[in-house]
Order: sequence, then structure tokens, then C-alpha cells
Amino acid sequence: MKKSGVWGQNIFFTSIVAVSIAFLVGFIALTISMILIRGGPNLLSSIGTREIQFAIRLSFMTSIISTLLCILVAVPVAYGMSRFKFCGKRFVKTILDIPIALPPVVSGVALLLLFGTTAFGHALAARGLEFVFTTQGIILAQFFVNVPYMIKVLQSTIENVDPRMEFVARTLGCNRMQSFFKITLPLARNGLMAGIVITWARALGEFGAALMFAGATRFKTETLPVSLFLNMSVGDLKLGLAAATILIIISVTSLFVFELMGGHQFEISRQGN
Amino acid sequence: MLKLKHLHKKLGDFELKDITLDINEDEYFIILGPTGTGKTVLLELIAGMYHPDKGEVWFKDSKINQLYPEQRNIGFVYQDYALFPHLSVKENILFGLKIRKMDETEGRKRFQEIVSLLNIENLLERFPSTLSGGEKQRTALARALVTSPRILLLDEPLSALDPRTKIVFQEELRRIHDKLKTTTLHITHDFSEAMALGSRVGVMHNGEIVQVGEPVEVFRHPNSFFVAEFVGAENIIKGRADGRVIKVGDGIQIKTIYEKEGTATLTIRPEDIIISRKHLQSSAQNSIPGKIVNMINQGPLFRITVDSGIILTALVTIQSVEEMGLKRGEKVWTTFKSAAVHVL
Repeated sequence: MKKSGVWGQNIFFTSIVAVSIAFLVGFIALTISMILIRGGPNLLSSIGTREIQFAIRLSFMTSIISTLLCILVAVPVAYGMSRFKFCGKRFVKTILDIPIALPPVVSGVALLLLFGTTAFGHALAARGLEFVFTTQGIILAQFFVNVPYMIKVLQSTIENVDPRMEFVARTLGCNRMQSFFKITLPLARNGLMAGIVITWARALGEFGAALMFAGATRFKTETLPVSLFLNMSVGDLKLGLAAATILIIISVTSLFVFELMGGHQFEISRQGN
Repeated sequence: MLKLKHLHKKLGDFELKDITLDINEDEYFIILGPTGTGKTVLLELIAGMYHPDKGEVWFKDSKINQLYPEQRNIGFVYQDYALFPHLSVKENILFGLKIRKMDETEGRKRFQEIVSLLNIENLLERFPSTLSGGEKQRTALARALVTSPRILLLDEPLSALDPRTKIVFQEELRRIHDKLKTTTLHITHDFSEAMALGSRVGVMHNGEIVQVGEPVEVFRHPNSFFVAEFVGAENIIKGRADGRVIKVGDGIQIKTIYEKEGTATLTIRPEDIIISRKHLQSSAQNSIPGKIVNMINQGPLFRITVDSGIILTALVTIQSVEEMGLKRGEKVWTTFKSAAVHVL
């Protein structure tokens, strides 16, 4: 009798787990499919419109540039944070993580204040570097919000590269920089690729900070998420859902690529060669 | 050639204390010590991964403390080889030559020489993850040697290999050193490696070098209880010395040629002890009666333990055991020269 009691409890617990998983998978799939079902049929005709084409072009351009900027800055920062010891490192780490914790809208307001109301911002604008309510603003907003993610992914990958590899390379004649580019970076390749994919996908979907900082002006700062917002708010469901569908397709694809990158250990992927 | 002068370094749990060593040109020097005594840190200090807290590293007539690793021209082989996993064996070996932009004809010649010396022609296109331990070892050695380093640092090079590969590779290391004459500093916890390869050995304990000498010398005359135990000495007995006599156990007096007063530890190598049925009258000055308490067959030799008030272990050939008909529980005499009694 006792045994069957235990058996019953186990069945009960397993059932809760199974039902929870089934519920959540179903809920997410159903929600996402609503957009695909509603947006899908009109997708091709919507893509033909000038507005969606503009949004796609602007989204791709800004997200690619901001991702490149993220790489440029995150690679040395991630290296320093994983390899160098310095005082105040924890403090620096906390500062670097702030944009992750902040709601993007708040980041947008902060950027707006810095570049729109201070002498620093005005000085840049006077030299032709205008960020407020411009395409450059979108790029900067995406960079600000996403660079910590890139740093996090890269840092953990670099930490996994044995520092003795670099050291051996140096005994063979490399300076620090050469050993980084010839040994550490190639060994962190998968992490870098995963970082690029996730950063780019997030940049493409960035809304809050860009909205505050660069505004939501049709045919000017209208990225895909902004296009979705503008069209939904005036009731143009067709164009709105087209933008949403494109965003979902890109997000799901990049999530898939990200998993693929992260799940593969470098050595294994190289064994096949 | 390589001089370490009063090196100190504290790194986490490891601490190197006042390391002073002088390694000669072409020498094969072994640093022997238990795991966790800071041997790897010592090699990394020499190679420039860390700066010493105190002390100096000299190469010939120049102090190299401030040089970067890439300026020191040192070959380094880690215990786990640290091969570059994204490069083939060939690319691993060529790495140093390419970085140093060595002249192509000369580089190719050197590459061929090293590859054939280490017998790895057939591995060149493979990647490290597909290599066996021995193959990785050869590749790592080739990578370090191809740049003609001033000194080769080997961090426990044999300990990751299975026993058979280990013996083969030990011979390889000797052959390579005979051929290239690269000054080598090899660290290990295994005294047999020191015996087989080292021209000299330095014994490390708790971050200090406690004895330096030829391996046979260290083995025969350990200068401390630790060294005696570590190099595998048996018959380590504590007693009180009074000139050239040491009193041990229950009133047993052991004669030695070493003079000492007060507390003393003596060691007698098992192969220096003769076992006999009768009291031997010979030049051997110590002869103690006792009873066989244990006999272990070790191939051609028996390891016989005799209780004479003190426990002594002796090595006896199978032939002698059979001739004397030795058995456990029987009474025998243990005899050894006073010169065989080493006092620590």
C-alpha cells in the first residue's frame, strides 16, 4: 500500500511538470502563431509597400552598424574584464551591467538628456554629429542597450579559453596582441558569433530606447518595431502585422542560430575537418 | 647559464621561498618535489608569466626579470601540453617560426629536422583533439624545440602518459637532449625520472629547494628526513647519536662513519643489508639478530622485513632465499656496514 502511495506521489509530481511544460509551450506557440496566421497572408503584399521596405532597410542598416560598433568595443572590454586584474573591477562590472537592468525607455531618456540638453551634446551636434531624433540616434540607442549582452557572451567565452594557451604563444614569440588575435579570438570564435547573432537580433527589435531618443517619425526613424507601433496605433493592422511577422521570423531564426553556436564546442566542430 | 637568485613568489596557496639555483649550459636539470609544492609556478616565473615578488632571474650575464615572455626565448611544455586546438600539428609546430618571421629555407630545414627527430611526420595534418597522449607530447616538444630555445622547461612531461609510453618517452627525452643539447629544466614528482634523466636534481619541499646534487648522490645521501622519504629511502629510523654510535629501539647500538650528537635519523638502503642464518664476522660492523616478519616476492628479488627490535627491510635475491630456505617467522641476522648507515 505504502509503495503505491509513493508511486502515486511520483506520478502526481511528474504530471505537474509535464502539464506545466505543455501549457507554456502551447501558450507561447499559440500567441506567436496568432501573428503568423493573421500577418502571414498579407506579408508579401505588405513587403511591397514603400513604408515596410523603408522600415526593413532602416532596421537592417542601423542594427548592422550598431552590432559592428558593439563588436569593436565589446571585444577589448570583454578581454580586459576576463584577463586583467585591477582595483575597482567589481565596480566597473556593475556599471557595465547597468543598461541590462534599466528599462530601455529609461536608457532612451538618459541618452536624450545627455545629447539633447548638455553642452557636450550641443558641441557634437555643432560638429555634425546629431543624434537626437536621427538615424544615428537609433544606432546609438541600440548600441547602448545591447553592448552589455555582447560583453557578457564574449567574456564568458574568453574566460573558457585557457590563459596558458596565450602564455605558450608568448613563449613562442607572440606579443600580447598577437597572442590574442592568433589564439584567444579564434578559440572564442563560437562565442563571438553567438554574441553577434544575439546582439543583432536584439538591435533589430530595439524599441524603447530608440523611441525616446530618436523618435517615431514615419519614413525617418521608422524601424520595423516603430513601424509596428505606428501602424497599430492608427489601426492599420495589415502593415503592423507584416512588420511583426518579419520580426518574429528574424528572432526565431537568430535564436536557432544562437543555440547552434552556443551548443557546439569548438574542438568537436573542428574534428570533422 | 640560468641563475635564479633568492626568488620569492606568493601566488594563492603556493609560495616559493628563497629559490637559488644555478643551471649549467647543456645540463638536464630535474626539479623533484611532491604535487602542490609550487614547481609549475617556478617554471612560469622563469618563463615570464609572473614577476617574482623578490629575487632575480639571470640568463648568462643578463638579468631578465623585466623581459616579456616573448623576449626570453624559452621553450615551455605544459603537463597537459596546451596545444592550440584550432591549429593542425603542422601549424602548431610552425607557429613560433612564423611569429619570429624566420627565413623560409632555414625555417623549413629546422622544421624537417625537428619533425624527423620526434618522428611525427605522419601526424602533421591532424588536429590535437585526435592525438594520443604520447603524440600530443611529441607535438608540444616539437613546437617548443623548433624555435631553438635557450632553455627548455618541461612541466611534468611524463606524468600524463601510461607506464609503457612513459618509459619509451623517457628514452626519447634523453635521446633528444643528447642530440640537441638544449639546456633543460624538467620538473617531476617521480624520483625514477630524476635517476633516468637528470644530470643533477634539486629537491623541492614547501616552496624551497632543500637539496641539490647528482641523483645518485641525493639518493645515497639524502640530507633530510623529507628527502629520504621522498626519494624512496626505506629503513628510516630515529634515535640518539653519540659520536659514531646511534642508539635506537631498545638498547640497540648502530655504528656509522658519520659523527653526530643528540637526536638523529638514520637510513639504510635495503640493498645494503645482508641477511644470513649465522652471525657474520666481516668488515661489516653492524650485525643484529631478528625474526623475519614479512617476505614479498618482487620478481628476481625478495623484500624481506626483519624485526630486530627495530624494523629493517632488506632486498635478497630469490637464489639466496632458496639456498638459505628463508621463511616467515625464522631467526636471521641482519648485517650492514657502518658506511651504509646514513645519518640525517
